[in-house]
Amino acid sequence: MKNPFQDFGSLSVERKELPLERIVRAREEVMERMVHGYLKLVEEEVKDLVWLVEHSRVVKAYSAAVKSIRELQYDADDIEEFCSELDSSNKIPYMISGPAGIYLSALVNHAQEDRIVLPLKDYQRTFHFVGYRLPDGKTLILQGDVGDFVGAGLSGGRLVVEGSVGNWCGAGMMKGEIQVMENSGQNTGEWMRGGEIHVEGRIRSLGKTLFGGRIFQRGKLVVPQETDSEI
Amino acid sequence: METLEQKQRMLKEVWAEVRRKHLYPELPQPSWEEQEDRVAIDIKDKRISVSAPFVEELSQFMDPACVASGLLDHAVSHYLHCPWDLSTHLKLYREAKHVLKDKQMAQKATGYFMDVVADTLCMSQKESNLPELYRHIKRGIMDEAVHALYQTIWGLDLGVKGYEEVARKLSRLPYLDRGRWMESIRKFSKIVQSLLEVEERFGGLDRPNPMGEHGLQQYSPEEIEQGLKEFARDAATPAEFNEIVEDLQDELLEAMEPNHKGMGLGPGRSLDADILYYMKLAENYALPVRRRPMEKSGALYPHHHVPWEVGRPFQDIDPWTSFGKIMPGITQTWERREGEVLGREEGTPDCIVLIDSSGSMTNPRQSLSYAVLGAACACDAYLRNDAQVAVYNFSDAKAGGCQILPFTRHRMSIYKTICHYFGGGTKLLLEDLESLQRSSLPDIFLITDMQITNLEALIQYFNEKKNRVTAVHIGDNEHVRTFRRSMALRKNVGIFSVEKKEDIPKIVLGRIREYFHSPSRP
Repeated sequence: MKNPFQDFGSLSVERKELPLERIVRAREEVMERMVHGYLKLVEEEVKDLVWLVEHSRVVKAYSAAVKSIRELQYDADDIEEFCSELDSSNKIPYMISGPAGIYLSALVNHAQEDRIVLPLKDYQRTFHFVGYRLPDGKTLILQGDVGDFVGAGLSGGRLVVEGSVGNWCGAGMMKGEIQVMENSGQNTGEWMRGGEIHVEGRIRSLGKTLFGGRIFQRGKLVVPQETDSEI
Repeated sequence: METLEQKQRMLKEVWAEVRRKHLYPELPQPSWEEQEDRVAIDIKDKRISVSAPFVEELSQFMDPACVASGLLDHAVSHYLHCPWDLSTHLKLYREAKHVLKDKQMAQKATGYFMDVVADTLCMSQKESNLPELYRHIKRGIMDEAVHALYQTIWGLDLGVKGYEEVARKLSRLPYLDRGRWMESIRKFSKIVQSLLEVEERFGGLDRPNPMGEHGLQQYSPEEIEQGLKEFARDAATPAEFNEIVEDLQDELLEAMEPNHKGMGLGPGRSLDADILYYMKLAENYALPVRRRPMEKSGALYPHHHVPWEVGRPFQDIDPWTSFGKIMPGITQTWERREGEVLGREEGTPDCIVLIDSSGSMTNPRQSLSYAVLGAACACDAYLRNDAQVAVYNFSDAKAGGCQILPFTRHRMSIYKTICHYFGGGTKLLLEDLESLQRSSLPDIFLITDMQITNLEALIQYFNEKKNRVTAVHIGDNEHVRTFRRSMALRKNVGIFSVEKKEDIPKIVLGRIREYFHSPSRP
């Protein structure tokens, strides 16, 4: 009797592993660790799912974020994907804007690349604290509108926002440059000590306490010469 | 230059090998296509056509048999893996359209995504000539980017320079994971959006993909019916279904050309996506109906053999199986049973569907209308059982707000009448309803929120009639309670409530089944 499967005998059943599978596996591993790090940060910092913006808490959260990503090997694409996960994934049960932005800033600040572009315009959620402590030599370009405290504590980097920013933009920044292509909210540049903020659109209000730095609106210097809070 | 006969022989040999390699997919023998301006392959109703000019053009770089083999690998992998069926194809397109907001770009992105999935699956499982083929194929901007992606994810050199960033971003997507295709195509579309925009500026979107387009003509009419049914079930709203079906209307009609009456569409060559949505959604809740109950005929007929015993009558002995002997244990006798025949009961009665489309009801074109879906399910059940359906769609009938469709089996007309939305007040004219009555007592299916101005008159009408009435009310209110109270004693009136989508098929089908399966009419 003829074996009905004889014709298949010469066919190879071994499955080749394509580089794709290695790439996807590595990417998923990194993403898993990023998500884990973020969730741990939220767990530690936001016990009641409420996060108050206090200087000490921000510093503590940033330190915890930096610690959790210390041994992580990632690139700008991973950061972009993490933003996407924060926006829509069901892997992340809660997205709390403050810690999320601080974690994102820690990732950006410790990435290998000097220039990072994050396309945020299609996201449903608003990211706060993006660009926090952006160091010297780094350029972060945010495509779309962002939330509050963008570029807070900027430490020499260049932050470009291709959209509008919320309140407290550049709060407490040390040095570096923030360029906002559209409008900025209230208390722009509050407590800033150095660096420059350029806003191409409307500034809702300037910070009441500024220790240094310069703010330009549509190329015209408004601080330090002019300190009127409504423009 | 090979003769046609040689080319046919070569294709036959290559096809035999490709079939064996792909474990004998159920596809017909491919054929040669001789037209000059054709792309590499074309698939219509599962038949693959290989472009002879394309193969000849590439034969200066590689063996024609290898070209044909690579092309067939590509086509077979599409059939076996991606998109697999029309429903998946439409869902992929929907996701791409959601990101790109443009029909042509979404079609292109969907096509390229399906190519990447099919080719990569083929490469991961089989030895294929696809890389050699892609090395020599003419490329547009998108082709360059996709081939750069292939270089990265297959680990081969296809001779593409540049597009590293796009390829790097695209290479992160899990193409081999079918469960994540929807998420992947969204990301894929977002990444290639800028390239598609460049292609659009330079007219590249009008040029066909060199490996062939992924039109809907590759599906058979039956697959299209099934695909639309699944897609309707998956769509969150009628608007979502409509958007996609209207985008692809021409292609769907083209694919259905050989037998487009199957959709219930008449002449006129257009698809009303709103109507199609309810038509296909209702088919998901199709009810199997036992058409004619069997009755005992009273006549006995020989059913099976049993051994004869002393004392049993001789006349039932079967001499042919008894070896010519009368002996207990050896002699066989016939056991007789009463026969069953089709009774006098007619198959399935016709049905008058009364549907309320007043202002208090949901507009079926804006969001999912439970009333229309319920009525559609009922119509579908009757039509499937060879019955006819008449429709009385009413709002303020006295002011002209009504549509009457006499008994028919023309699906499109029925669904069109059901889906019509008037808005405004609610009053039906009983003389209209009476005009639809027949001596054979059709069933009546009423679906409304019961906020009918002349509800008392309707109750009175139902009290006088012997038709079997299935009344479905949407929501609960004082009028519903009045109707329920008034009909409580009527055995021929069944009343159901619909609060959510899941109630509709359950109630309608359950009721109809109970009725159809009853041995005799009340």
